[in-house]
Amino acid sequence: MMKAFTAKLVDLTQNNAETIARQWAKDVKTNQKTYTYHEETEAKILLQAKYFYNNFQLMFFNESPYEQAKEIFDKYAEERYKEGIPLHEALYALILMRRHMWLYAEFQSLFNIEIDHRQAVESLSRTILMFDYIMYVVTRKFWKLMKLEWQAKENTE
Amino acid sequence: MQAYAAKLIDLIELKAENIAKQWADDVMKHNRTPSYHSLPKDMVIAQGINFYRLFRRMSLAENPYEEAKTFSWIYAENLYRKKIPLQEAIYALMLMRRNLWLYAEFQGTFVTALEKQQAVESLNRTILMFDYVSYQVTEKYQELTSGEVEKILHAVKTLMVKGCVGGEKSIYKLGLVTIFLIAAVILTYYYQSVLGTEVVFTHLFYLPIVWASVCWGRRGIYVAIFLAVLILTSHAIFLKGLPFSEDIIRALMFVVVGGVIGWLMEDIRKLKELFR
Repeated sequence: MMKAFTAKLVDLTQNNAETIARQWAKDVKTNQKTYTYHEETEAKILLQAKYFYNNFQLMFFNESPYEQAKEIFDKYAEERYKEGIPLHEALYALILMRRHMWLYAEFQSLFNIEIDHRQAVESLSRTILMFDYIMYVVTRKFWKLMKLEWQAKENTE
Repeated sequence: MQAYAAKLIDLIELKAENIAKQWADDVMKHNRTPSYHSLPKDMVIAQGINFYRLFRRMSLAENPYEEAKTFSWIYAENLYRKKIPLQEAIYALMLMRRNLWLYAEFQGTFVTALEKQQAVESLNRTILMFDYVSYQVTEKYQELTSGEVEKILHAVKTLMVKGCVGGEKSIYKLGLVTIFLIAAVILTYYYQSVLGTEVVFTHLFYLPIVWASVCWGRRGIYVAIFLAVLILTSHAIFLKGLPFSEDIIRALMFVVVGGVIGWLMEDIRKLKELFR
């Protein structure tokens, strides 16, 4: 039951990835906690969101979502790092992606009847778990890259 | 914060210590938080209690985001000083949130349909709080790390700001080196031609040599070569009969000093690029 319901959320996200990504892009380009994104072109940042929403479902039903997160989001972190996005902004952009996914589901009245609230809690918990993995993987990758850079600085010194 | 989350807030307030103890047990053996395994348990529990108490403070605050900083900044600073990697600090926060929720579930806080609705809202509030805290902790960590790197490299940075590296096209630097070189030619002529002596005036030549190498890195060696050629030529013309050996050594030292400083300055130039 929970799986079917979560599938509903994942399907909704997958089928409307473009729309949700556009809403996210509008937000991230004006949000004061993601100011580095303000200068980026919408087309460029849309790719990030599409990559995210299209790959997110792979994690959802994977037996080992953490391993899947590593596979997908190590690359994501490396790209953001190379683009010069500070880690706290990269993480906040991910947080906004999650919010927009959820907002869209709410807007589409995915969880509007009483019985659905129980399933909403389960789905929300599952989504959060996936995000926890993603944030951990992204932070770890960033931290590793930052350390490499600092070591390079120290060696140069 | 609306009334729907009051139940959860009350629970957290009452049971902060219990939840913090559960969290401490979890974080101190979790494989994604290995740096926590050796921390004193009391300190870890105190961290947990501070986090759980933040929940009520945020609910009462006019600006919950600002209120979150009272916890996040101290949390980040403490963990940074203890050399806990950022991903572990963030994962520890995630475990705090999970333990809070597990505790609430275990206590049967949200059972009926209405309570389930409240649960969704409470969950959203918990997540929002976590979003704020994780953002602030990450930001603080980055601030602390870049502060530390800046401190380590302060001397180099000062040199880059005050010194020559980078501003290669400055007319003043070129002008100063030209003045030094003209002075060197005049001094050489005066001492070797007029006075006919090898007196050690050439120590003054190190000024333009060092200056040029600091300003232009490896390319600064041309100034050292120019001065080396100058004293050798001048010796050949004006000091015939006197042995060459001392001036050859001086000329070699000019090139070596200019070369070494230029080579070191190239590394500082690379460092400057990294700073950018």
